[in-house]
Amino acid sequence: MNIAYLTLGLIAIYLYVSFVSLIWEGVDRKLVARMQRRIGPPVLQPIYDFLKLVSKESIIPRDANKFFEIAPVLALASSIALLAYTPLGFEPLLATKGDVIVFIYLLALIAFVRVMGAVSSGSPYAQIGAQREIIMLASREVPMMLGLFAILWRLSKLGVEKPFSLGTFYQYNIWEIGTPLTVFGTFVLFIVFLLWLASEIEVGYFNIPEAETEVAEGPMAEYSGRHLALFKLSSALKEFASASLVVAIFFPWGISGYLGLTGIGAVVLDLLFHTLKVFIVLFVSMSVFRAITGRLRITQAVGMFWGRILPMSFIGVLLIVIDVLGVIA
Amino acid sequence: MTPEEFLEMILTKFPNADGKISENKLPHPRKRVWINVAREEFKDLMKFIKELDPKAQFSIIIARDGGDYLEAKYHLELFYEQAPSISLVVGTRCPKDDPTLPTITDILPSSLPYEREVQEFLGIFFEGIPDPRRLFLPDDFPEDIYPLRKDEKGISDEMIKNAGHPYKMKKEG
Amino acid sequence: MENRVEYWVKIPIGPIHPALEEPEKFIITLDGERIVNVDVKLGYNLRGVEWIGMRRNYIQILYLAERMCGICSFSHNYTYSRAVEEMAGIEVPERAEYIRVIIGELERIHSHLLNLGVVGHAIGYDTVLHLSWLARERVMDILEAIGGNRVNYAMNTIGGVRRDIEDKHKRAILEMIKYYREEVMPKVEEVFLYDPTVEARLRDAGVIPKRIAIEYSAQGPTARGSGVEKDARYNEQLGVYPDLGIKPITPKEFTGIIKGDMFDRMVVRVGELWQSMELIERALDQMPEGKIKAFPKDNIALVRLKKAEGEGIGRYEAPRGELIHYVMANPGSEIPERWKMREPTFPNLFAVARALVGEQLADVPVAIASIDPCLSCTDRVAVIDAKTGKKKVLTEKDLLKASIEKTREINPNIKAKPEPVGGTCGGVRL
Repeated sequence: MNIAYLTLGLIAIYLYVSFVSLIWEGVDRKLVARMQRRIGPPVLQPIYDFLKLVSKESIIPRDANKFFEIAPVLALASSIALLAYTPLGFEPLLATKGDVIVFIYLLALIAFVRVMGAVSSGSPYAQIGAQREIIMLASREVPMMLGLFAILWRLSKLGVEKPFSLGTFYQYNIWEIGTPLTVFGTFVLFIVFLLWLASEIEVGYFNIPEAETEVAEGPMAEYSGRHLALFKLSSALKEFASASLVVAIFFPWGISGYLGLTGIGAVVLDLLFHTLKVFIVLFVSMSVFRAITGRLRITQAVGMFWGRILPMSFIGVLLIVIDVLGVIA
Repeated sequence: MTPEEFLEMILTKFPNADGKISENKLPHPRKRVWINVAREEFKDLMKFIKELDPKAQFSIIIARDGGDYLEAKYHLELFYEQAPSISLVVGTRCPKDDPTLPTITDILPSSLPYEREVQEFLGIFFEGIPDPRRLFLPDDFPEDIYPLRKDEKGISDEMIKNAGHPYKMKKEG
Repeated sequence: MENRVEYWVKIPIGPIHPALEEPEKFIITLDGERIVNVDVKLGYNLRGVEWIGMRRNYIQILYLAERMCGICSFSHNYTYSRAVEEMAGIEVPERAEYIRVIIGELERIHSHLLNLGVVGHAIGYDTVLHLSWLARERVMDILEAIGGNRVNYAMNTIGGVRRDIEDKHKRAILEMIKYYREEVMPKVEEVFLYDPTVEARLRDAGVIPKRIAIEYSAQGPTARGSGVEKDARYNEQLGVYPDLGIKPITPKEFTGIIKGDMFDRMVVRVGELWQSMELIERALDQMPEGKIKAFPKDNIALVRLKKAEGEGIGRYEAPRGELIHYVMANPGSEIPERWKMREPTFPNLFAVARALVGEQLADVPVAIASIDPCLSCTDRVAVIDAKTGKKKVLTEKDLLKASIEKTREINPNIKAKPEPVGGTCGGVRL
């Protein structure tokens, strides 16, 4: 692939995903409002919010240091880099052997940059929010990584050209292995991934770092204007990328094969179908979860991760491993 | 214990106090006990009341500027578990050129915010109060002005801007 | 010897904070996420009500007392009338007593539904907030039909009530109670007694032990949730409440154990909702016919009060606790010698500030919301203008000029001149 094709593709994906994720946020707010018997804002509201934020002045606190202004730009840059490695109905743009590690690294980097930005803003509320975010980050990645590596290892045994790459989901599917142990283990891992998705987006039980009634917006307490707009955009992109991961692992079937299209038409159609699947997964994991639960305390949420979700992940992985050993031995 | 028995017990121990029982005209008439005592015996009286009922509930300190004396009344509720509880008002006074009263925060710890409030609004100083900071007024309020006094230490007319004027705006043209 | 460096942070919660409905400042000293000390500072909403009250006559203070708070406005009105009636020895007709009970219990229903929503919002459970405030609309409609306004319905006067409850109001009230019993209360109980998020957040948090509740004289649901069985309507044998059968409600009747945490306080509020509905039904049954006012016009009441002397105390159980007013008469004048009130949030705040030591930071806004703070009632004593000397004093004229200029920027067609035009107000001497 030459550089020009790559760059154009990345810019096109970036524009498409940012538009679509802002639309999703509007749809989500409308759906949650209807669930609470209200009317809710218009669907294009997040786009208006973004444009309004970009046009306001950014206030920089007196006690902040230089990193305060660099942090939003870094966060957005990491999100755009993350998009180059997300499976979007077709193989990621820069797919190579073992690119799942880069994916996970970039996810953690975005959260880390947020924490650094919060700590350098000089406000005690932001400091407390940053502490909570770091604890959540350390707790939620472990079950997800365990499950992801187990699935990729299982798939690589079927003989793929790029082992441990996110593109392997479009060659082989975890459900088509078919033995009962694998199906059950995959189902357990599906639950783990849905909970991980909710905690990555920080809704419902896990709306802890940005608890607006407790610490007045937490890490984002001192950000305003353009910087806040960049942070919000990078959050929206990260949301879409995380949901794309869940869709790619568990529901990767495309429809362009059935309709017999090839070339650019197939790519666009796959992209749209993938977007629809992402919306459905986000509906279950974000809107419904947000409307039916409140917020937990940080100790309770961390206890839930290490005490319940990690054992569930272990069980799922063990089931897949036992199945493989049974087949081979 | 009925209010009459209670009043008798107090009056036998403190013969210098004067007390009465008032009754109001509700469908179920309610009696209240009003006691006035000099400030030297005030603390002993409160200790005695606390011994009679260790779970006494303290409600309010009503302080008043009465010309050349400052008066403070304390309302307490005793025996709250029985259906008509005893509603007791204990009053004491001090002259204006010596505005001090003994504090009762060691007997009833919940009276601290009320004493702070009276201290800043009326100028009665409570001896031995553990925390004499201001509660309601801002920190840059001038020191010697007590808003609820009726004499020269109250709020003077220059400090009031537009109190009580209904505000109308004239239209131009 | 080793010196431990302690990283204690002092953060202010308030006066402006998304968790608080009204301004107050809690300065919290934190060690990580654990609270070491809480300090309370009030006075951000100071309006000078007592100072104004020293210059108004009896009937004007009735209106002033009502506007001290939006949610418990009827309670202030009622307690003040009780205090004046005790002082002057005025007897109130029986039908008026029953009407006062009905309106008081309707106000209690709407205030408790509001507080359930506020606690839900403080734990991040927005659905509870919206749905319980939706359920509250029914009560507000009834109050508007009877009183004419959703808040500050001036029903009380000295010696009776102003407006009567007619048959159509009675039917509407009974329909509302049926709607609440069948549709709203089962859902409220399901959320506040059995929901997992609510139980995880509110159980064992913000505990006020019984000893501290008694020592600090906590009032209302805050005290009853810790097992202190006191209720001003029961202890005072107030009005016709003993005929209707009232007793203090503690969590023992609903869950069987009393721990004194936030969960118990919400259970007490749910229990009081049930009790209020029963009281309204019984009062509507037992209400006799007759007059509703002791004096046909307010002027006659003023003339009678001019001759009165003595002092009176009125106590009532507002939705938040015990409310107490004191009135002392000045014989020969229409202006009372002294008027003082104390509302229940004041001791509750200090009790909860003492109980928060050793808890986590996440519990602070929920604990403050669970005692149902009504700080408009708390800050009410005398300051009107305080800054003299060094800082520039912004007079009203300056503020008005600035505001008019901004309006002119937005809409140049509005013309106005910033000049105060007015003399004395209605002849009241200042």
